[in-house]
Amino acid sequence: MGPVAMAKDPLAEAGCYFDELNKLQVLEPDVSQKTSELKEECKEFVDKIGQFQKIVGGLIELVDELAKEAETEKMKAIGARNLLKSVAKQREAQQQQLQALIAEKKMQLERYRIEYEALSRVESEQNEFINQFILQK
Amino acid sequence: MRLKTSLLKEPKHKELLSCVGWTTADELYSCSEDHQILKWNLLTSETSLVVKLPEDIYPIDLQWFPKTIGGKKQTQAEIFVLTSTDGKFHLTSKMGRIEKSVEAHKGAVLAGRWNYDGTALITAGEDGQIKIWSKSGMLRSTLANQGSPVYSVAWGPDSDRILYTSGRQLVIKPLQPSAKVTQWKAHDGIILKVDWNSVNDLILSGGEDCKYKVWDSFGRLLYSSSSHDYPVTSLSWAPDGEVFAVGSFNTLRLCDKIGWSYALEKPNTGSVLSLAWSADGTQLAGACSNGHVIFAHVVEQHWEWKNFVITLTKRRTMQVRNMMNDAMDVLEFRDRVIKTSLAYGHLVVATSLQCYVYNSRNWNTPLIFDLKEGTVSFILQAEKHFLLVDGAGLYTFSYEGRLISSPKFPGMRADILNYQCVSLSNDTIAIRDKSDEKVILLFDALTGKPLSDGKPLTHKMEVVEIALDQCGPSTERRIALIDKNHDLYLTSVRHLGREPKICKIGSMVHSIAWNDAANILCGIQDNQFTVWYYPSVVFIDKELLPKTLYIKDGSEFSRAPHILNYVGTKVTLRQGDGSLVYSSVLPYPGLLHEYCTSARWEDALRLCRFAKNQALWACLAGMAMAYRELTAAEMAYAAIGELPRVQYINFIKDQPSKDSCLAHMLLFSGQVQEAEATLLQTGLIYQAIQMNMDLFSWERALELAVKHKTHVDTVLAYRLKFLQKFGRKEKNKRFLQYAEGVEVDWEKIQAKIEMELSKEREKAANASVRSSVAI
Repeated sequence: MGPVAMAKDPLAEAGCYFDELNKLQVLEPDVSQKTSELKEECKEFVDKIGQFQKIVGGLIELVDELAKEAETEKMKAIGARNLLKSVAKQREAQQQQLQALIAEKKMQLERYRIEYEALSRVESEQNEFINQFILQK
Repeated sequence: MRLKTSLLKEPKHKELLSCVGWTTADELYSCSEDHQILKWNLLTSETSLVVKLPEDIYPIDLQWFPKTIGGKKQTQAEIFVLTSTDGKFHLTSKMGRIEKSVEAHKGAVLAGRWNYDGTALITAGEDGQIKIWSKSGMLRSTLANQGSPVYSVAWGPDSDRILYTSGRQLVIKPLQPSAKVTQWKAHDGIILKVDWNSVNDLILSGGEDCKYKVWDSFGRLLYSSSSHDYPVTSLSWAPDGEVFAVGSFNTLRLCDKIGWSYALEKPNTGSVLSLAWSADGTQLAGACSNGHVIFAHVVEQHWEWKNFVITLTKRRTMQVRNMMNDAMDVLEFRDRVIKTSLAYGHLVVATSLQCYVYNSRNWNTPLIFDLKEGTVSFILQAEKHFLLVDGAGLYTFSYEGRLISSPKFPGMRADILNYQCVSLSNDTIAIRDKSDEKVILLFDALTGKPLSDGKPLTHKMEVVEIALDQCGPSTERRIALIDKNHDLYLTSVRHLGREPKICKIGSMVHSIAWNDAANILCGIQDNQFTVWYYPSVVFIDKELLPKTLYIKDGSEFSRAPHILNYVGTKVTLRQGDGSLVYSSVLPYPGLLHEYCTSARWEDALRLCRFAKNQALWACLAGMAMAYRELTAAEMAYAAIGELPRVQYINFIKDQPSKDSCLAHMLLFSGQVQEAEATLLQTGLIYQAIQMNMDLFSWERALELAVKHKTHVDTVLAYRLKFLQKFGRKEKNKRFLQYAEGVEVDWEKIQAKIEMELSKEREKAANASVRSSVAI
């Protein structure tokens, strides 16, 4: 290029240049080179961006999945907590039922106790009577 | 006693179940808000859809048309009334076809009930109105109109009154417009259900204050339950009125008629919205708010007699336990057991088709006979036979299974008889009349014919309980009765001619029972346990009665004990809280009864001397006088320090003739007219006159003297003496009139009296000579 520039190429003055393949071109050779470099870089950039996007997409998907999983786990936890609460309530109800049954049985026991006492009294009365009877004879 | 319940795993109805009703003891209809009517067959355990109701009918209440009317079976096609939320009631056939829909109320129709004979239907609505309809669904009248909904309604036992709820109050309203309405505050919350039993005339109510209560028909509170956890949503009397069932959220309870609870079940039912007993009282069904139908039957009922305890273990199985040797027997039946009775060494079991009679000596070979009508409502036993009562009538059977008699009377409603108003002994059946409660109808147990020419026994007050004594000859049969004032009376059942005397022997008496082996009566008198060792003494020597009592302090029993039976020397009582208590009575009175009826007076005296018991001596005195055994009577009276009576007995002994003796003995027990008649019959005119003078019945003495034209002067003389003694003047016109023509000469009179007496002695001597010659 040196000699050309040095020679002050009239073509160059006219704004025309030859490239390496000796084809005529309007753009200055270093601009053209830079352009092509830029193009290359741009392509690279696009590729990278594309890759990045892919990676990010994967990440998002992963995070989404995680989120979903977390959500289900959360629901499960809520459910379990509710269940726990209801079990407590159920137990309470069951306890209440059992209490009622126990109260009933206690009443029955009390009735039996009274009956037993009455029978014991009858027994002692009869024993007394028998003793008296034997003594008098 | 407890309920055995059964629930299906999955409910057959998809929605809340509101009402159930039995057609027979094995078939139930249920109606739910899913518009389905289902039929449940218990024999095959099948459930079938009867009909799907139109979408706009949400049922609330159903009741079948009553099956038996005054003991007669209905031939008419079976229908039921179904009430719904749209203000209509629907008369529906057994096939589920709606025969007639009637616009009845604004808002829902909350209850629909047939009366007992099926001639009227009553409906109660959310609009606070109560309406009466004819059998075919024609409006007869609007009986009540109030501002708040009427949640429940029930008919009175005679279908002449109704009971309904009015918020927290209960109202009894007679159908007659002018009659008095009874209204009282019954609960602290809105009352949701009421029921009224036709047999025992008791009222049940349950409400949002979570309590159930038992009332009598005057509105007096008999029992109030403790507060439950949830409102009482349903209750129902068993048809025989012995037990009732109460339903609440996840709760089913079986209670005794006194109110205490036999058993509690906690099934998973939701609220039990309606309860229904089958007609024979063996099955219970409940409509549950979660769409289930809960079925229950009563098991583990016990019967005790002496050393035997019998338990109903399953519907068709009983277990007999002999406490003496711990031997067990199992009795199996082909059908469901409906009623059972154990007494006098025999077990009588009525199932739906047959009657089994077991002897306690042999549990293997029962005597079995078929029953005409299925539903036996109760069994009463006496020593020689037993009485079966079903919807159609009363039948006495011997323990060999032979039908002995079947008493009938006009206006008989066997379906509402109960233990209090029927009594059986070896020869007599007594029934308190339902239409007139003062009247007791008496029948010969062996022929079924009315006693004493069909003339019933009539008391001056309404009678609430009757009991026949169980021993001794039929001519001496006595009946004890408690009237509305709770006074206890005793009277004879069989009598010749004159009306029998009804003698009061106790007051404030609440429950009585006769002994099974001797005519000893026990009862609860004014909260004291009282035994009348010899109640008949009231006919012989009234003043002796208080001396023959045995009173035990009632403090050992809690409130309102009720006597169940009195077997041997053991009395079984049921306290107000449901516990059984026992009391023993000395064996001596029973022995004494035995000695006296078999005329073993020496033994009787020895027994009394041995026991050293004043009451026993008093009994002996009474019994000896009843059998005219003067020597024993004299000793007995002497032992209890009744000297005037000893003296009188001696006086009787000194009488010159047997007839005079008899007359004075009659006089002794206060039978003046009989005594006089005896004397007059045997021609002892003077003695009759003298007797009247001794009783200060001067006019009668004079009348006799004038009538028989003898001893007029005697009467006048004694009268004069009497008046002089009291310093009074003759005012009686008849005496003044006769006194004019008669001259009083004491010497002559004495001579005449002496003559009469010697005449009597002579006659008696002759008679005894004659009788000895005759022998």
